Amino acid sequence: MRVLTVDDSRTMLAMLHHTLSGAGYEVLQAEDGQKGLDVLKGETVDVVITDINMPVMDGIEFIKNVRASGAYQSLPILILTTETSQEKRDQGRAAGGTGWIVKPFDPEKLISVLQRVVH
Amino acid sequence: MSDLDEFKATYFDECSELLTELEEQFVAIEEGERDADRLNAVFRAIHSVKGGAGAFGFSGLVGFAHEYETLLDFVRNGKVELTDEVVALCIRANDIVSNFVDAARSGEERPDDYGAEEKALFVTLCSGEDDEVSGEPVEDEEFDIDFIPVTVDLESQGGDSRAGWLVEFAPHRELYSRANDPLLLLREMAEIGEIDVKIILAEIPALADFEPFAVYCTWEIFISGENVDEEKIREVFEFVEGDCDLKINAHETNAADDGADEDEDMDGEDFPSFADLAAEIKPKEPAKSQVVKPVTPEGDEGKAAGPVGVQSIRVDLDKVDRVVNMVGELVITQSMLNQQMDENLKAHYQELVRGLEVLAQTTRGLQDSVMAIRAQPVKSVFSRMPRLVRELASKTEKKIKLEMVGENTEIDKTIIEQLSDPLTHMIRNSADHGIESVEKRIASGKPELGTIRLSADQAGGSILIIVEDDGAGVNRERVMQVARDRGVVGEDQQLTDEQIDNLIFAPGFSTADAISDISGRGVGMDVVVSNIKKMGGSVNVRSWPGQGTRMTLRLPLTLAVLDVMLVKVADCPYVIPLSVIVETIQSSRAEFERLPSGDRVLQVRGEYVQTVDLATRFELSSEVPDDNRFVVLCESEGSSKVAVIVDAIIGQQQVVIKSLEENFESIDGVAGGTILGDGSVALILDVQGLRAVNKRRNAA
Repeated sequence: MRVLTVDDSRTMLAMLHHTLSGAGYEVLQAEDGQKGLDVLKGETVDVVITDINMPVMDGIEFIKNVRASGAYQSLPILILTTETSQEKRDQGRAAGGTGWIVKPFDPEKLISVLQRVVH
Repeated sequence: MSDLDEFKATYFDECSELLTELEEQFVAIEEGERDADRLNAVFRAIHSVKGGAGAFGFSGLVGFAHEYETLLDFVRNGKVELTDEVVALCIRANDIVSNFVDAARSGEERPDDYGAEEKALFVTLCSGEDDEVSGEPVEDEEFDIDFIPVTVDLESQGGDSRAGWLVEFAPHRELYSRANDPLLLLREMAEIGEIDVKIILAEIPALADFEPFAVYCTWEIFISGENVDEEKIREVFEFVEGDCDLKINAHETNAADDGADEDEDMDGEDFPSFADLAAEIKPKEPAKSQVVKPVTPEGDEGKAAGPVGVQSIRVDLDKVDRVVNMVGELVITQSMLNQQMDENLKAHYQELVRGLEVLAQTTRGLQDSVMAIRAQPVKSVFSRMPRLVRELASKTEKKIKLEMVGENTEIDKTIIEQLSDPLTHMIRNSADHGIESVEKRIASGKPELGTIRLSADQAGGSILIIVEDDGAGVNRERVMQVARDRGVVGEDQQLTDEQIDNLIFAPGFSTADAISDISGRGVGMDVVVSNIKKMGGSVNVRSWPGQGTRMTLRLPLTLAVLDVMLVKVADCPYVIPLSVIVETIQSSRAEFERLPSGDRVLQVRGEYVQTVDLATRFELSSEVPDDNRFVVLCESEGSSKVAVIVDAIIGQQQVVIKSLEENFESIDGVAGGTILGDGSVALILDVQGLRAVNKRRNAA
């Protein structure tokens, strides 16, 4: 199972990596939406976890772009963000986000949420 | 180191970078660059600091950063105007965030009300524009995993424990378009309780009318179990709320019977039961593989190379130094091997020659890589200076602008870390004593705005950090007076202008109180200077009355490998850093002129240059006739030149600097030692030092 994590915070990437690889997932990383898209061009992943606030290309744009490409219409994308405001979440979902994880995340919760969206 | 500590280390590293970036952004913002990108970057930086802080439970920081972030969000959305006052508030807020981070790093806690004043200002600013937000209490944080509010029917919960819930679930098309999957939801339901699933297929049309993306199936799930409640069920459907019709009803009748009955009905109609299926679908055991695949986004090879998640590792500097030293030895061995290869051997063992060439190349590469590990751009220190100048300008009511050049010059990490204090003092000196008040500047026909120029440059084996101002220059009379009063200079002692200028850094000249309010640590300038000397560096002051002052901080590129010219004097090898050499001239062609003192000066293109005969300087007896000797014209500090006279020029090569102080003692005019290819020791000349020594001799 491969997870692409997209976040501009190294801390967050490291913590996601630790949690996910500890649970046996293979982890790919990207520092912003654009780099996330670049990764998806060359790699197949089972699920994406993405931050919203990022430079170059933010999470919302990233999700829109992923959904726009035919190959990834059914790729689960989880929004990882501290923004619990309904507005951000709705934006993410409107763009095609599958679900969300609230930062800071509880490792067990993260894994269980992942299992809610991946086979 | 525990995982958590490691994450914290990463977090603090990241915070340092973010805070440096904030500082830079605000410098630009202060100068009026207030475009959306910049404001977004500022917002993101604080957002990231807050995010990590939340993960590690730094509650004070989270609380503060949250309010600050809200303000920044308002600012970037144009809801709060970015006035100069707001900018000033933000700069203060950056300091507070920085202090929170520092405290957290050293394991302390700032009191919770730290920064309360600023925090209150944030709230006021934001509330002026939007009452809703101000009404929101700080505690209403987003760091609890929130659940969708539920209404729980207490009666039904208190009922029969074997009772359950009937969930009617009818997905909409959007549910699929967001990559949610009913099967996974059923699987999760099976996790929290016993489920019995019925799929309703009645809506499925004939094949001809079948639309691939339309939704035809709905489900009825009966769930029971000790821990099942409506909240848990809602949580499963958290992501699809709004993308489906969901009805959750408490079911008090005997669930098992009900389910069984319906099951039978379904079976009768040949509808598949998903009960077994759902029970079977246990959450997948994730693969055991721990393989982490590095991601290398195109065009970003350097950055993403290496194992993912480990973008930096923390290594003890000692370990790096050991590698650096060994690489140094390797370079020497390699060049020794090279020298042993005479023409005869070369002709016979061509393979060996080729091998040696490859070795040389690899060694060079290895050396560069190792040095790169220790080197960092000087920017990290420079970036703190604009702010210092701003503060000083407002405190002294002068108009000062700071120009920075060469911020990307890379310097050894250890040196960078020690650069902050000297720079602070030098710049303070320029702002305080160098640049004149606006009135004075106008009176002396200068532009109102004073300029301090901060530059970094690599010059041979040294890094030159120069702080230059266009102020009044050192007030030599006053400096002498103070120096005499403090006993730094004896009553009858006469000093040259240059010596007087340099007194400002002399031990005992400056006092701690004079600088404590800036450095905050009360470190005197003399301590700073002695620290620089400990690193093998030097400080030099030149001043031109009425025109300005230039302070030059010369720091060694300690671990650097030098490109040098190998010369000989009385059969002893010496090396001169290639970067200081302007040209070499045969003695017979050089135009010398003798001064009344007996010293010779060299005339080069109409310029008189001081000469230093290495043989005389190092008290060697050269047997080479004068006309067969060579002149190596070198550039020393500033643009002044020195003509070094040697017996012979051997050639050009690379050497590893070995500290003389560590192995022997410091000698004027000698920057260090090195071991040559044949194993002999050569001294590395310090041209600036040679010149100074010679001057002193002349003076004596």
